[in-house]
Order: sequence, then structure tokens, then C-alpha cells
Amino acid sequence: MTTLSNVQFVHDVESPAAILEAGAELKRVVSEEPIRPDEVISLFEDWAKNLDSRELDEIPGIVFLRMWLRRGTLEPIVARELGANSVNGGWTDYGRARCKPFPLGVIGHWPAGNVEIQPILSMTCGLLGGNAALVRIPKDLVELTQILTSRLAQSDPSERLVRRIFMAAFDHSRLDLHEAMARSVDGAMIWGGQESVLQVRSLPFPHWARIAVFGPRISVAAMDSGAWGSPADQKTWCLRMARDLWQFDQQACSSPQVLYLEKSSEQSTDEFLTNLKTAFENEDRAHPRQVISPSLSSAIAKARASWLLDDPSHRAFFPIGPDWTILVGSGADVPPPIQGKTLYVLEVDDLKDAIQKLDGNVQTLGLGFADPEKENKIASIAGQRGIDRVVKLGRMHTFVPPWDGVDLIRPMVRMVRHVSSAE
Amino acid sequence: MEQLSEEIDRILAVPPYGEAPEEKEAILLRLLQQELSSGCSRHPGYENYVRQWPIDYRSASRVADLPFLPVSLLKANPPLSFIPPGEVKRTLTSSATTSQSPSRVVLDAATSRRMTKGVVTIVRDFIGTSRRPYLVVDTADLMRGGGDLGARGAAIQGLHPFASQATYCLKVDEQGDLALDRDKLLEFAETHRNAEILVYGFTYILWNHLVKPLVAENICLNLAQVRILHSGGWKRLQEQAVEKAVFNQQLARVFGCSPECVIDFYGMVESVGVIFPDCPAGNKHTPVFGEVIVRDPLTLEPVKAGGYGIVQVCSVLPTSFPGNLLLTEDMAQVIGYDDCSCGRRGISFRFAGRVPKAEVRGCGNLEIKRSAGN
Repeated sequence: MTTLSNVQFVHDVESPAAILEAGAELKRVVSEEPIRPDEVISLFEDWAKNLDSRELDEIPGIVFLRMWLRRGTLEPIVARELGANSVNGGWTDYGRARCKPFPLGVIGHWPAGNVEIQPILSMTCGLLGGNAALVRIPKDLVELTQILTSRLAQSDPSERLVRRIFMAAFDHSRLDLHEAMARSVDGAMIWGGQESVLQVRSLPFPHWARIAVFGPRISVAAMDSGAWGSPADQKTWCLRMARDLWQFDQQACSSPQVLYLEKSSEQSTDEFLTNLKTAFENEDRAHPRQVISPSLSSAIAKARASWLLDDPSHRAFFPIGPDWTILVGSGADVPPPIQGKTLYVLEVDDLKDAIQKLDGNVQTLGLGFADPEKENKIASIAGQRGIDRVVKLGRMHTFVPPWDGVDLIRPMVRMVRHVSSAE
Repeated sequence: MEQLSEEIDRILAVPPYGEAPEEKEAILLRLLQQELSSGCSRHPGYENYVRQWPIDYRSASRVADLPFLPVSLLKANPPLSFIPPGEVKRTLTSSATTSQSPSRVVLDAATSRRMTKGVVTIVRDFIGTSRRPYLVVDTADLMRGGGDLGARGAAIQGLHPFASQATYCLKVDEQGDLALDRDKLLEFAETHRNAEILVYGFTYILWNHLVKPLVAENICLNLAQVRILHSGGWKRLQEQAVEKAVFNQQLARVFGCSPECVIDFYGMVESVGVIFPDCPAGNKHTPVFGEVIVRDPLTLEPVKAGGYGIVQVCSVLPTSFPGNLLLTEDMAQVIGYDDCSCGRRGISFRFAGRVPKAEVRGCGNLEIKRSAGN
């Protein structure tokens, strides 16, 4: 008997023909079976409920994915990006014209292998625009993506969405298969490191294809002395910091790599650092890492030793294992990011010195400020320096567009403008 | 320091593979604790690292809890050193085939002497004590670097105590490339046909500059009583799809000996003096003055038998640089603990390639490109 749990949603693909055939079928579905955003959102809402089970709790990012798939999250995003009436498939008036989103067609997704839920997340952005999804699944994420997709299939017995998805697993070196994917799509969402992003971007996409690139960026955090020095709030700020680090194992573009602390003439950071260490220990107990690459483990060990050897005034807190690391020093420069819950905590005389040194390589600035006026100034400097998101600590991963200064769904739709001939 | 030096010398004098694991652990722990203390008093940065290690080394109950240093930290320039420049007798550099910058380790007279003794002690356990004609499959020019010695030079020199005379059978041709000096090689073979001889070469050099040309010309040297040692890793041969068994067979064919006469050993400049030859069971072992800990990447705790992990090399030999507890960039599998059929005690393991390089990745920088014409 065939059950959803043994249906293979992720296909081991060996030939370009298999991808071209799947692409043609996806194009047919998009063309012949239009779907409204509210239908997609309803199916996503059911999917979120199906993901709410204990055996999935250990999947990194699962809590975030459940939140993302909720109607309460997605409806306002669709309305804002695609128009007030777009949720129900209607036209939205814009002055004397009206606009309505239509899908681009088949969207190819090239997620990176380092964020477990990224294939799913990327895919949902395209599906909300009524598109089909041709998704390349990195080999380490095949099993997990299969589990998550089977839960979607449980919520979608009529296969309204499932028919729009084709997931292909193949070795990253198979250029012929990447090329077949590129030729099959009308748009692409590409994620990952510089090398892989450049490789995918150079594939033979049709001349009309729209390409959205999510390249390698990092994020930082900053706190004024009023916030980190507040006895009443210190522990809460530390907990928020820990949570921002633990999600995605500090490997997402929105994960903070550095925390800048404004120096205080009245108190030392010792108590704050002790609380931060405790918050990391507690978070690690609650959400221990299940797996790590030897290279990351090795990089963490190297970062610790290098930091402490380089300058005898540097401090650090860490267990022997690679679970988490706090590297303490001073200075406004951004040290090379390590990831894997390795946080640099740097004291600066004036936070403006640090923020002014940032550039477009920094995506998100997480802030903990007691002084709103100071915060507003910092946010303006950050925007000027190329940072796209300035948010409260603890919400650095909240996936609300504009993301990186750009909408998430709109890039993968065509906004058709209708000016009435009667005008 | 003098007392520490005497203790290290004492441990170098005992049979290298006979100590019971518990006794060896106790000896190593005590010596390494003393060396950490000594290193801390000589380098403020090292002292900072050791002091902030989560377990106080002075009260640690096992070697695995002592503060290890990732080997790439030895790429620092100037090198990490526990001695003043005037005491540096020799600087060793790694071959740096995988990374661009080489490691540099500084040796004072005592460390240099111990490292030579360490190699001799280990090799003696595999090939015996006698001196014999030594054929070096390399060029003599390599040894003329003064105080600076690369990985190949260090390995060649480390085997000199087993040599009654040394012959280098490669030369540098007009293009500056290594080439086989056939006349010299054939003369060596003719002269020592019935003698016990020792051969050493870097693995890829042996293959490219000795085995390949001689096999192509169907030449056999007829040196049946040879012991062939080689080191330097398999990366370049893997690129040529040459497997270990094929390498051994072809080498044996060229020398006219049994494949069992070929011994692959692993050594690293950063831990020179502690080398790891293959035993007849195909495993590697650690001498009494050194240890290998294979650490689980997830916890950095030692793995159980059968487990894979990142290799840490421990050695009591160096006192001139922080090379006592090095987390390498190699992976290995623990074959067993104190149960190898060859009779050598303690851990037996096999290398399993390099730790892959990491790339920091993210998911930002959304930029929309729409092609012209749309």
C-alpha cells in the first residue's frame, strides 16, 4: 500500500531529460491550473499544523517555519507586496489603473546546504505568487526535505500544490543537470556562498528569466550601555541574543556574528558577560546541536585559540566542545565570521564608530537600546552604510519583507497593469 | 627545565610500544602538564589561551582534557616560539600543499636532538637497529638549506641515523625539474645487490620519478633485502587515481622485493619526532612519548573504537614551540584500543583524509536582475 510517508517527493535525478520533462509538466500545471494566494495560504496553514509534532522539534528552524506558514504571517505580506485585493485573486486599484499579480511560471530554487529549511522556505516564496517550483535539494538535506514535504502532501490531498513542485537531488558537480534546470525555469532564487552563487548565475537561463540572488552576507548586533547595563533587563537581552544565535546555528545571513557593546564609565561588562554565558549554556541545554561538519568544528577551535593567542588582553568563554563560544575584546572592526554559535563581543567607546565601519556586506543590525534617540541615529547611519534591516535583538530572523531591502514574493510575479479603455 | 628535559630523555629510552595504556597516560599527563606550565611562562598569548581553557590543566585527570592548539596556528609569522631568537638552531617549514602558507616551527638544540631520537626509536621498532646503505629518492640539493629545512628534508635527515652511507638518486634537470639519475641508481643497485638497504622518498616523488620511469623501461633493481619508507600523503597520487595497493605492488616490482617491504608513514613537521608507520596489520600506533586522540567533531571528545574524528597529535618532545598538543586538519578512524594483532599497545588508527575546507555562507543580498528586453 502506498502511503504519503513512502512517496518519494525528492527525486534522484540522473539525466537532463528527466529535469526538462518535469519542467514542461510544471509549466503546464501553472498555465492550466491557476491558484489564488488565499488557496495557497490555506494549504500552508494546514501544513504548519501538520509540522507541529514533537518528532520534528529537533529540525533546526522548524519553529520559524511553522510561524512563517501561518495565515496571520502571510496574508499581510501578500497584501502589502501584491496589493490589497490580491489575496483573493482580485485586482487592486492604483489611481486610474488597477494591478493584479500573475505568476512568472516555473521558479528554479538553488538553496545552500547550510540552512536546513531553506529549500522549503525558498519554495514557499515562489508558490505564494502562483508559480511552480523546481527545487534542487543539496544531498545533506534530502531526508529532511522529504519529511517536511510529506507533511505538505498530507494537507494537500487534491495535490493543488504538490503538483506544482518537483524536487531534484543530484551532485553539485553535475553541470548538465544544473543547465537543464536553468533552461526549464522562468525565474530563479539562488542562495549560498560566493562561489556557488556565481556558478549558478552563469547557467543558461532563458533571456526573460528573473534572478533573485541571496548571496553571502553577515549580520551584527549592538547595545547601548543603558540596555546591557540595566540590572532589570540584562538577562532578557542575553536570552534574546542567545536565541538569535541558536536559530540556524548562526549560519543564516541574519545571524549576528558580532555584538558591539557601548563602553560605560560606570560599570564593567563582567556581569553582562556572565549572564550571556549562562544564557548560552541554557539555550544549548534546551537545543543541543545534533550534527556539525568537521570543518566548522575545526574552525571554531582555531578561532578560540587565535583570539586568545593574538592578544593577552582578549578573553573568552567556551566549553571544550564546539557548542558555543564567546570571544571578548574591544574594537570597531568586524572580525572574520566563524559561525557555529561563535560570537565576538567587542566594546567600543561610541557605537557610531562601529556602525560607520559596516558596509553592504552586513544585512541585519540587531539592536538593544535603552535610549530611543540614540537608536534612531544608529538606524540612520546603518541604512546609509548599506544595511537593509534594523530590528530588535531577538527578532533578527523574523522573516518579514522587505528582506534585504527587497520584497520576497513580488520579484517572482508579473504585476499586470490594466488601464480601462473607457477612461 | 633541566629536570623536565631529563624526564623526556628517560621516556625516549624505553621501548616505544610496550607501555600499558593507563601507565602511558599517567606519564604523558604529568609531562605535558609540566610542558604547559613551562610554555605559559614563556609566551603571554599562550598563557592567556591555556588560562582560559575550560579545564585547569593543573588539575586535569586525562590528556584529552588538556588545552590543544589547532595546528594552523603554527602558520604564524614570525613563528610561535618559546625560545629567544639566539637559541633557534633550526626552523622547519611544512610543505603547504593543501594550504598556501606553510607552518613554521623553531627548534632549539634540545628539541632537535629529541626529535631525531624520537624518529630513530620508532623506526628501529619497524626495521631494526643496523646501519645500512641509504638510498634517498630525492636530490641532495634539498639538504643544503642551512638552518631552514622543509618537510622532505626533515624526513630524509630523520632517517640518517640508519645510514652507513647515503646516495641521492634524483637530480635537477635543465628545466629545473626533478629527474632520475639512472647511472647513480643502477650503480647503487649493482653495488648493494645482496645487502640490507634502506630507501626513503616522498610518496609522490617515488611514484613519479622512480616507479613510473623504471616500470616504463621494465627495469628491476633486484634489491630483495630492501625496506622502503615513504611519507607525504596520498593527495597527489589520488589525483592520478593510484591506490595504495597498486603503489605497493609497483614499488615492489621495481625493487624486486615483497610489497610487505614497503612502509607508509605519516609525519608532520609540526610534530616531527613522532611519526606513524603502518604496522603489518595496516594500522598506525603511537609511541610512549606521544599520543593520538581522535575527537568527535560534534563534542570534541575522544571517539570509541570504530569512530571517525579529527586527529589530535600529542608529543612530549618539543619544548621550543607549542607543539605538544596539536589538533590537526586530518581525519582518522580508531580501529581499536590496545588490541592490534601486531602486538603494539594502545590506540590503533588509520587516517581518513583531510578535514574539508569550510566556507562561510549566508542567505542575504537579494538583488533582482531582469535581463534586457523584458
